[in-house]
Amino acid sequence: MLSFRFAWPFSFRVGVISAPLLLLSQPALAHDQPGIAGGLLSGIMHPLTGPDHMIAMVAVGIWGAQLGAPAIWILPITFPIVMAIGGVLGILQVPLPFQEPVIALSALVLGAAVATRLKMPFGFAALIVAIFAIFHGYAHGVELPHAANPLAYGIGFVVATGLLHLCGISIGLLLRWPIGDRLIRGMGTVIALLGCYFLARSIGGIA
Amino acid sequence: MTVAVSRRFAGAATALAALLAITSPAQAHLIGTRLGDFYSGALHPTTDINDVVLWLALGALAGSLGAQRGRWLVILFPLGLAIGFFLTATFGLSIGGNATDAALIGTLGLLLAAGLRLPAPLLGLAGLSLAVMRGMANASGLEAVTNVPLFAAGLVCAGYATITLVMALVIAFRRAEVGRATAWRGIALRALGGWIAAIGLMMIGFTLAGPGSA
Repeated sequence: MLSFRFAWPFSFRVGVISAPLLLLSQPALAHDQPGIAGGLLSGIMHPLTGPDHMIAMVAVGIWGAQLGAPAIWILPITFPIVMAIGGVLGILQVPLPFQEPVIALSALVLGAAVATRLKMPFGFAALIVAIFAIFHGYAHGVELPHAANPLAYGIGFVVATGLLHLCGISIGLLLRWPIGDRLIRGMGTVIALLGCYFLARSIGGIA
Repeated sequence: MTVAVSRRFAGAATALAALLAITSPAQAHLIGTRLGDFYSGALHPTTDINDVVLWLALGALAGSLGAQRGRWLVILFPLGLAIGFFLTATFGLSIGGNATDAALIGTLGLLLAAGLRLPAPLLGLAGLSLAVMRGMANASGLEAVTNVPLFAAGLVCAGYATITLVMALVIAFRRAEVGRATAWRGIALRALGGWIAAIGLMMIGFTLAGPGSA
């Protein structure tokens, strides 16, 4: 019996499927505009869109992993609380000098600590991180009152900061392998160099 | 593909396209069945992020303390919601506000972060008080046309389901590492407490002294 194969052209099949899908489409109403503090999404994006914040937070996590217990578990618990104190200072518009240079300095110092695998008493390390946490929190807190939904904005940046720490701690797990140690030190060097760049830019050394 | 099969495919695709093309937004008008206000009550807490954070924080705290200490909340939390709702809907009473909510968020977060072993009666009392306040807050936006018993039933059911599920999830999460050398799950829960405490602390500052106090 004579039989032959017939296939509809591919473009026809794509057209048949995609046409109704396009008919169903609705306008996207995304109200989170760049530069405007809205709510949860703006809060999440705030630490992620500031590279100086981002690398410093990841460096905090990595350094905590390098220092080991108790730093590795006290850090993610207490850092957000100390950062919130800085956030409150920012909300209250309390003048805090040298915010941007200190944030850049935090990336430089923490990156250098990671690169050199700096060991120091836990209390001293906690003090250094706490001072930087206040400055980072301040920068977020200044934006909070202008947000459409301050609570959602606050939740967003606290969660994003915590996830950046988690990212750093996860990277720190590479310490189990010798090559991982070298890789982490290399990352610390890159973070410190970026910190240098941001520091120079914040004090006007680079346009 | 034979001609018969390809024709069948084309027919099915055309029918599907026609069906999809005539779809319109789903509008679940349950008013006729009087279930509309039940769902309004159940979903109302999701419209206030204070409710979302406070309910989750309380569930996480109770779950972190274990089933033995937290189980009373399964009854007390929905009961508190019902009492608070009734007091506001009937007598117009209202307790709390943004500052109280922020303080509660901060306190629950600190308790979770510190890993304090709260006794069961204190946890129950805290859960009941919080539920009464949130019940009042949820009743404050009632409209004249709202069916109050259905709305309240929805709210209470949502409270029961949320607190029970969150507690159960946290208990199951903790139980998975019993007897193991590494206890990262407990640390993760305490870190979550740190996040919640930070949010509460900032909102206290915002509502009491920042622009939010105006």
